Amino acid sequence: MTDARPAGVRPQPPSRAPRNVGLVAASLLVLWAALTLDIDPAEILELPGGVSRLFYEMFLERGPDWTYLDDALEGMLESLQIAWVGTVIGAALSLPLGFFGAKNVSSGLVSTVVRQLLNAIRAFPEIVLAIAIFIPIAGLGPVAGALAVGLHSVGTLGKLSAEVIEGIDPGPVEAARAAGGRTLQIQRWGVLPQVLPEIIAFWLYRFEINIRAAAVLGVVGAGGIGFQLQQTIAFQRYALAGTAILVVVGATIAVDTVSGWLRRRIIEGTGARVTGEVVEQPELAEVRAA
Amino acid sequence: MSLPAATRSVRPAKPRPSLAVPIGLVLFVAISWASLSEEFGIGLDIGALIEDFTRGAGILGELLTPNWNFLPRTVEPMLETFQIAVVAAVIGCAVALPVAFLASRVTSPNLATFLVDRSLLSVVRAMPDFLYALVFVAAVSIGPLAGVAALVMFNVGVVAKLLSETVDGVDTGPIEAARAGGANRSQTVRWAVLPQVLPNYVAYSLYTFELNIRASAVIGIVGAGGIGNQLFTQYRFFNWSNVSVIVVELFLFVFAIELLSIWLRRRLV
Amino acid sequence: MIRFENASVTYPGGVRALHDLTLEIPDGQMMVVVGLSGAGKSTLIRAINGLVPLTGGDVTIDGVSVRRASPRQLRQLRSRIGMIFQTFNLVKRTTVLNNVLMGRLHSTGTLRSLVGWYRPADVEIAMRALERVNIVEKAYVRASNLSGGQQQRVGIARALAQQPKILLADEPVASLDPPTSHVVMRDLQRINRELGITTVVNLHFLDLAKVYGERIIGLRAGELVYDGTAAQADENVFRDIYGRSLTADDVMGQAAATVAI
Repeated sequence: MTDARPAGVRPQPPSRAPRNVGLVAASLLVLWAALTLDIDPAEILELPGGVSRLFYEMFLERGPDWTYLDDALEGMLESLQIAWVGTVIGAALSLPLGFFGAKNVSSGLVSTVVRQLLNAIRAFPEIVLAIAIFIPIAGLGPVAGALAVGLHSVGTLGKLSAEVIEGIDPGPVEAARAAGGRTLQIQRWGVLPQVLPEIIAFWLYRFEINIRAAAVLGVVGAGGIGFQLQQTIAFQRYALAGTAILVVVGATIAVDTVSGWLRRRIIEGTGARVTGEVVEQPELAEVRAA
Repeated sequence: MSLPAATRSVRPAKPRPSLAVPIGLVLFVAISWASLSEEFGIGLDIGALIEDFTRGAGILGELLTPNWNFLPRTVEPMLETFQIAVVAAVIGCAVALPVAFLASRVTSPNLATFLVDRSLLSVVRAMPDFLYALVFVAAVSIGPLAGVAALVMFNVGVVAKLLSETVDGVDTGPIEAARAGGANRSQTVRWAVLPQVLPNYVAYSLYTFELNIRASAVIGIVGAGGIGNQLFTQYRFFNWSNVSVIVVELFLFVFAIELLSIWLRRRLV
Repeated sequence: MIRFENASVTYPGGVRALHDLTLEIPDGQMMVVVGLSGAGKSTLIRAINGLVPLTGGDVTIDGVSVRRASPRQLRQLRSRIGMIFQTFNLVKRTTVLNNVLMGRLHSTGTLRSLVGWYRPADVEIAMRALERVNIVEKAYVRASNLSGGQQQRVGIARALAQQPKILLADEPVASLDPPTSHVVMRDLQRINRELGITTVVNLHFLDLAKVYGERIIGLRAGELVYDGTAAQADENVFRDIYGRSLTADDVMGQAAATVAI
């Protein structure tokens, strides 16, 4: 190939050392973790067999045993209610906290304190909150479960709401202030309309997650289908367990679908400036929020 | 200054308000009331609750004073939690990569594969992590193997769904360029799609790792290894000061991972 | 040689993007396609490498039918056809070199390409391609850090790395300012003359078409309405193609002579 112009100087490839060192270190860590785990390699080979056997007994042999359906549905309903109440509590409390935690709405000091408080609450999984706080207080049963779910949700939703509020377009707020609005009015008419669709989307998504969290709580006695799942499997009544599992999966998928559809409608319907990314991946906001 | 005389234009009729919001509100109130009530729901009694709070104050006091002598006995289970979280996250995120590509219309080879993969993913996601733990404990035995297997399933569900949605939103220009140059499907995914989703993929993986640490509290309770077992035992014996030690450790762990995650992501973007 | 034989593309809604097109493009020719948006320019170009499937007729390249090609044959055909795009279509997050190396994927085994372990010979070809468009010093720079004109040159390098016989350019300068447009068009012209690569370019601006096109094709509503040299294409011809009087939007306006080399 003949070149009409003088060739430029070929640059040196940049050093890959830092990246390679990092990768090697990470790989060693993972290797160490894998090898020092107390796992018998023979058991790994038994895994597919064990699972197939279980699957067979749950869904094919005599199961799923539909006589258990009523009990399973009752348990699932309780879990759903726990999730619902927990989400409502979380949503209600997180909205004002979100405002207080937003740097552009409340003072720097207040917002920092509130955000750290929310971070602290977020760090505790619902089951820990249930065990450590709400069962001691309210005793065993779904109330403790709902409160645990509620408190944890306040943490997550509060942080997400605060970030949404911080991301608003200052224009309408300025306009409201210029027209002589008081603080509460500015929040209500200048800020809220911008953030509400996105925040409601978070509430719905939180409900989806809370259903899964609520299911666990039964294991420690805080209500819901978790108890039935654990009992049927522990006592090897696999046909009954099969029914319970189908109920859980079915209910969860149903809620996921409806909630997902609602979230999409809310975001698109209002033509909010929010990108589709938020609708499809509220977890992404949680991840970014870290 | 007087305004010019109004021209005779027809004022538009006020649009009929959509029924969606009132219906939604009614539904919301109905469901909430039912969920709270005694007969249908969980039976939330505010009065009794307030009584309970004062009773619980004593326990809260114990919770707020961790018994640090208990710390050494938590080291080994905590370590196991960490190990399970790491191994499960690595395996889970690796498996989630191809699953995610098959679950996105952009990168899936044909409609059938796409639909099957998507449906399977919905089911995998619909099972809570502790249910996987229960199942695997029953399938093999108690111990960390069940924990790793359970969290792998859980991770694949979370990461594959997140990743497939990211892939859905990818810029298709480079994909067209790759195809136009004669690249095959895997090459196209590797060089035109993966670089676009890599930062998100890393974020999801770290997030999953954090979820795993939190999940260990749960799966340990059903015998799948990790700190959960200890946590539950102490709780059963009402050793609140010991419980709080474990809770603090979990908290610190999660906090550390979040810091690591922020640092790593800043370096990668 | 590229040959269109009664080629048609009709979309499901009934829209005729290309209708009964018959055309021969000899090797080494630089052909410019003009026409309104939606007249079929993009479709014509994409029919050559099969990115848009034909619904009637055929396109053959040196006698090989694009329409009847198996997926493997299609990939082989495409490996000899380089394409550059209006929006450059570079992978923004990775380096210039990685982008250009995508032009060598067709001859790299799947396993090798997954790991990114290109053969030294392939890397050499990529580097030479970058040198040819005078941007090799940016080889390890992230693609998103380049200007529009630089990105398009990387796009050309990527196409050149394929060592193609044919080069397709779909509105390559529509996103660029006038001086940069001239630079890019001159690069294409130089490549066509020095390497003898058959070049088909979609252009929006008629003055550019006249300056750089050896042969000009006019499309209107999917049909061929003009086929001649740049010299023969005057205002009347363009008015026929566009079906209306020419406006200021149809010419770029800045002559090549005013552009510094």
